[in-house]
Amino acid sequence: MSILRSKRPAGPLAVRAVHQLVPRLAWGDAVGNQARYLRELLRSWGYASEIYAEQWDEECREQVRPAKDYPREADADSALLIHHSFESRLVPLVARSPGRKALVYHNVTPARLFEGFERKVAEACTAAREELLALRPLVECAYAYSGFSAEELVAAGLPHVAVLPFAMDWHAFDTPPEPVLRAELADGCANVLFVGRAVPHKRVDDVLRAFTAYQRLYQPRSRLVVAGYLNRETPYGGYLHGLRDALGPERVLFLGRVSAGQLSACFATATAYLSMSRHEGFGVPLLEAMHRGVPVVAYGAAAVPETMGGAGLTTLSRDPVEVAGLLAVVERNAGLRGQVLEAQRARLAALGQDAVATRWKQALRPFLEGTLEAPRASVSPAPVDLVCPALGPRPDSDMARLARRVAEKLGRARVLTLRPGVPSPLPAPEVESTGGVETWRFTPDEPLSREPSAELPGASSLETAVVGSAAVPVLLGVETASARELLARVPSRVWGVGDTALPDSSRAEARRRLGTRLLELKPSQPDATATRLAELLARPGEAHAR
Amino acid sequence: MHAEDLLTASPTPEAVAAEVARLPPPSPEALEALRRKLESSEQAPVEREWPPVLQAPRNKKDSRYVEPATSHRPVVGPALVLAKRAFRLAFQPFINEVLRRQVEFNEAILDSLATLYEHQQVQARTQALWRKEVEERLARLEGQRD
Repeated sequence: MSILRSKRPAGPLAVRAVHQLVPRLAWGDAVGNQARYLRELLRSWGYASEIYAEQWDEECREQVRPAKDYPREADADSALLIHHSFESRLVPLVARSPGRKALVYHNVTPARLFEGFERKVAEACTAAREELLALRPLVECAYAYSGFSAEELVAAGLPHVAVLPFAMDWHAFDTPPEPVLRAELADGCANVLFVGRAVPHKRVDDVLRAFTAYQRLYQPRSRLVVAGYLNRETPYGGYLHGLRDALGPERVLFLGRVSAGQLSACFATATAYLSMSRHEGFGVPLLEAMHRGVPVVAYGAAAVPETMGGAGLTTLSRDPVEVAGLLAVVERNAGLRGQVLEAQRARLAALGQDAVATRWKQALRPFLEGTLEAPRASVSPAPVDLVCPALGPRPDSDMARLARRVAEKLGRARVLTLRPGVPSPLPAPEVESTGGVETWRFTPDEPLSREPSAELPGASSLETAVVGSAAVPVLLGVETASARELLARVPSRVWGVGDTALPDSSRAEARRRLGTRLLELKPSQPDATATRLAELLARPGEAHAR
Repeated sequence: MHAEDLLTASPTPEAVAAEVARLPPPSPEALEALRRKLESSEQAPVEREWPPVLQAPRNKKDSRYVEPATSHRPVVGPALVLAKRAFRLAFQPFINEVLRRQVEFNEAILDSLATLYEHQQVQARTQALWRKEVEERLARLEGQRD
């Protein structure tokens, strides 16, 4: 997008009103809580501030204005913070609204985590990522709540990306425990707690497996408490109930939606909080558990390691038996439990209300005062994106070798791969340039397995970078999770290379979608494949014509 | 538990891994049986594509637009095709408005069918898991009887 075509207003301009736009203002969810917190903060700084939404919970009726009224009520002196976490269909409204705009990105769950359970939700997640790219020319800057989310914003090409601290209203957790539920749960059993909606990406089924292992191997007198909306009529809800019956653990409580007092009772009687979620843009219940003095055991996917900040026990292993071992030591070893709780308290100290408000003010000031620099005209990007997830974590693999050879032969290309090693919060992809070849390394959505033959996880940031780029994408390894996603999202312009060492069935979908644009890598002839691919990509107009 | 799989500052990953190693080891038989059960409960890979049974209704859900007009009649055919195309061109906005609710209904019913289909798939997988579990229990009981 050139600056001339940009729809961003030019020139510095301080604003007098800062409003927010959310698709739905809900009572008690993370996005709604952030919007309400931010509105009070903005008002305390002297700005007029309202929350606009297309839908809202009945309890929020007094706090919200209809989104359709925003273009009429806003003017050139208004600023709009657009919260984005799911498909909203509000991009046209944003485009025709006057004033300046910034994006607040809560992250979007990868569609693949809903496959097999919620086809419609999976499609909506993909649409939400398309909307993220559609918002790119409309906003002056973008904010995220974690480095993990910020990386995707940078990959999408959004300007002036910054990471903001998540604002927590700690007083909301001071509700006294509901006595009946508390008495029921405080019966001497070790209670393992999970709080959240029972949706596929939260992997309540993995919580069930880890708890089953814990009860069978270490603590027969234990109970699993799952507090959060669970609809048995959905495929995933039915699956969870069936899995509970099949695994056969005793004392599993699916409480469904709970009141604030009931939630307090759950935390007050919990021995440990367990999260096996595969995707969190931030992960509020983890901090809530820390605040309430419950040791946290969590699987370190997506932004979870950042949210935990070294506190609690974050594991890169999904093995239920290993997770059960962590639950057991937290319960049995008082000294270790004390150390965990102490570290959790120290983690929360950095998230005090005053510190968070100060950081918000610093981060928002350039946008509100209109002192952001105009985005620089980007240099001409490489014409080819070589997508090779294996290059970073498995540099000696056949596909990694092929990626290096093709890049050498092309002379000018961008190579996109996964960042190896332990997940570490970085607000942008690592970029390394050698000659005309740029190598971009992205954080995977889940930790890399120690097993060399295990499938590599997908990376939403990498996929967004490819979809948002005009370059010709070449999937070096059509069998990977990211390649499958890209095959579905940009089928008309993608090329691919399949690994003949893997089963033929793993390339069936790629063969159907790509036809002659799918090449095969024979481990004995990597040079021939690299030469053929480089020739095809270098032909003038050949790659772009398709 | 490998210390390198733990991200924790205090206590150290090594201390946690050492504590896990000190836990009383479960019997190999119990551990093996548990692992078998956990592995069998893992969700099978699913197809990304729409199921064939829903593919045809999905292709036809947008009833506002139809196949291009054709005719087999040798002489009047081209005139009929032209008339049909002209009618479509002129009245497409009205057709869209008349059929808007029908398209919304089609989409909603297709979503419901997809949910039912996925529910049925999940139930089938769960029942298979149950059947396997029951057969294993029966085999164990018969082994004990013998």
